[in-house]
Amino acid sequence: MALTGAAAVWASFQDVQFLALVLAGTLTGILVGALPGLSSSMATALLLPFTIYLQPIEAIAVLSALYCAGTFGGSITAILINAPGAPPAAATAFDGYPMAKNGEAGRALGMAAVASSLGGIFSLITLILAAPALAKIAYAFGPPEYFALAVFGLSMLASISGEMAVKNLIGGALGVLISTIGVDLTTGVERFTFGSPHLYEGVHFIPVLIGLFAMTELYEQAGKHRPNYERIRLSAMRLPSREDFRRVWATILRSSGIGTFVGILPAEGGTVAAMIGYNEAKRWSSNKQNFGKGEIEGVAGPEAANNAATGGAMVPTLALGIPGSATAAVILGGLQMHGLRPGPYLFEEQPALLYAIFAAMLLANVTFLALGLVGAKGFSRVSLIPRQFLWPSVFVLCLIGAYGLRHSMADVWIMMVAGVAGVFLRRHGFSPAPIVMGLVLGTLLENSFAQSMIIFDHAATGFLQRPIALLFFALALCGLFFTPAVRLARALLSASNTGKRP
Amino acid sequence: MKRTAKSIDAGRRDFLIAGAGMTAMLAWPGGRPGAADFPSGPIEVVTHAGLGGGTDTTARMLLIRTRRNLKADAVVNPKTGGGGRVAMSYVKNRPADGHTVMAITPTHLFTMAQGRAPLGIDDIKGVVRSTDDPIVVMVRGDSPLRTMEDLVKAGRKTPVKWGTTQIGGVDHVAAATFGKEADTRIAVVPFEGGGEIVTNLMGGNIQAAGLNVTEAKDQLERGDFRALVSLTEKRISSLPDTPSAGEKGVNAFFSTVRGIVVLKGVPQERVQILEAAMLKAMKHKTYQGYLTGNGLDADSIAGSEVWDRQIRRMYADARRALLDLGMVKQ
Repeated sequence: MALTGAAAVWASFQDVQFLALVLAGTLTGILVGALPGLSSSMATALLLPFTIYLQPIEAIAVLSALYCAGTFGGSITAILINAPGAPPAAATAFDGYPMAKNGEAGRALGMAAVASSLGGIFSLITLILAAPALAKIAYAFGPPEYFALAVFGLSMLASISGEMAVKNLIGGALGVLISTIGVDLTTGVERFTFGSPHLYEGVHFIPVLIGLFAMTELYEQAGKHRPNYERIRLSAMRLPSREDFRRVWATILRSSGIGTFVGILPAEGGTVAAMIGYNEAKRWSSNKQNFGKGEIEGVAGPEAANNAATGGAMVPTLALGIPGSATAAVILGGLQMHGLRPGPYLFEEQPALLYAIFAAMLLANVTFLALGLVGAKGFSRVSLIPRQFLWPSVFVLCLIGAYGLRHSMADVWIMMVAGVAGVFLRRHGFSPAPIVMGLVLGTLLENSFAQSMIIFDHAATGFLQRPIALLFFALALCGLFFTPAVRLARALLSASNTGKRP
Repeated sequence: MKRTAKSIDAGRRDFLIAGAGMTAMLAWPGGRPGAADFPSGPIEVVTHAGLGGGTDTTARMLLIRTRRNLKADAVVNPKTGGGGRVAMSYVKNRPADGHTVMAITPTHLFTMAQGRAPLGIDDIKGVVRSTDDPIVVMVRGDSPLRTMEDLVKAGRKTPVKWGTTQIGGVDHVAAATFGKEADTRIAVVPFEGGGEIVTNLMGGNIQAAGLNVTEAKDQLERGDFRALVSLTEKRISSLPDTPSAGEKGVNAFFSTVRGIVVLKGVPQERVQILEAAMLKAMKHKTYQGYLTGNGLDADSIAGSEVWDRQIRRMYADARRALLDLGMVKQ
């Protein structure tokens, strides 16, 4: 099976039209990924009607290549201007932008390309080897399991960027509070909308994120009394060194696993995967205190995870017909449009189609690695543009990014307000990352809890009968209490030692 | 494979004709007065959902051939937010000249029925129906609930856990109405979308669900899910062995429909021009292929008369059900 698969993949590489289409898809993907306001799900949706004129295999190949490359492309703007070009790149900005500010844009961009590519390839191999078996995981995750996953994700707030765990928890709680705005799924009641239809569907995290990160930075820069003529740092264009790769390989491997797993779950996909990838990179790092200040592991962690999630998301899409992400949903629509119905039998009846999809995604991953490494030198020059020229264009990108998401002016205002709020939060030592995480996970947390309670007939003890949920609760407890417990044990130990000595 | 190759050739030919059509359009004389002049500019289709969703995709598929039939350009303009309210208030403020049309779903009708919409049911007029996807009550293939009667009986003992989408939406109201009409109890578990409901029904977290046929076509064919009853008057052609609510004497008929409406003030001649162009577009194999690929049949499309009557009936049903649920006041 694996051998014939490899042969089929190889055969697709020799088809010139196929190659050209995949390359075009990859280039488009990087471009729309990098531009805030354009996302891969949007681009695939707009392309969908045109793919009628292609062979089904070619059509799906273009869409999948665009999907992979779009997820990588988002990291470029996240690193250079602190405004992620696509939602999954949100966590990349946490450390990528500080790196660019330190004059290491090339290093960050290069690492993003390598980590993305390795994460993507890892998940593809998993997809090729075990898609039908892995797809069953999706069924094991019901509301109680998602609730536990969200609790686990939020428990990391105590350790994410910034020295002060308490302020991070306050920030996270604020994010969860903002996530309650809008109509409630389980009651149909509107909350905190003040009767405005624009708040009915809630506050999306992207305008808040662009506001808190990019607009806050812009306001800070604008508030500086004199234009800041900085000396051009030649190191900005330097790519990551062999030493860097030696340091991050474990992070990349771990994040690839996390990303593939989270991608398979038909929930938030790449964004949640990247957040968890970032948290875990930090938890296992020996340079914890550097996170948030420009740590290269903080770029590799989320980038490997969000690209691994693309392959993961294709698992339930192809094997079950349940889309693993927004873009995967469009690809699913594309399959159906061409008269192909996903499901387990697709693996038996249409192996050629499946291997073409794998080939396209593999090729896209390799192509954006090459383009990313070559382009990193060029892109990184953006960080050398004098600020008085760069920031006005960043402002325009922020506006487009907030508007383009849902074509809503309300989102633009939310972005502006978040930017102003960000200035005050920053002055008082709150970091924006926990707020965004609270906002991303808050909706999942609340909905899955309400659903679980209905399923358990309103008896919370029902959670005790769900082993996967218990596992995540235990991990969350470990995350919260592991460090204090070790510290306490050490203190006790040294106390007893000093007690014995005299 | 042979079929595919043929459709590609046809596709290329269509593409060339489209090119020729566009050239012809540039030379089209404009500025003549009267109804014969319509359309004198691009047609704007206002949607309420983001790019890539079902409404957006359906609108775009419909427009591929409509452009040519109308000899005018046509664009999709997404106005998201407020369960269709943003789209409706935009359309309300556009001239009623037929150049602005709105793609509607049950969401719009339910927002109207809740009394929160800027437009009322009497402000709009149906042009065409583009999809009709009935709601079917399903359980897992190995469920002890083998018939609708089993489900009704089980619910009288303990409420049946039933997956729906948003509370106050068409799925929820369908479940509540079914429970009332069949005299049984239902505990509604709301999810974000059909995919989540399918996963949870498969995973055994819920006992039953009201799903569209398109959402669970594979699961039904493989026997993973069993269809107990379709919430329609008559049996549906894709599920000939599944009884309908109508024949079981349960007065609960619900369907996820999509279609095009215009403001009431649009002249009748213009509505007819739009209707003819869109119906012709939907009968073409491009749109038909889209329908069948998604598991819908040709009955999905309908003209102004049928569609206009249907939206009025759905609105009345929604209004009554929401009153029963206490979600709106008289």
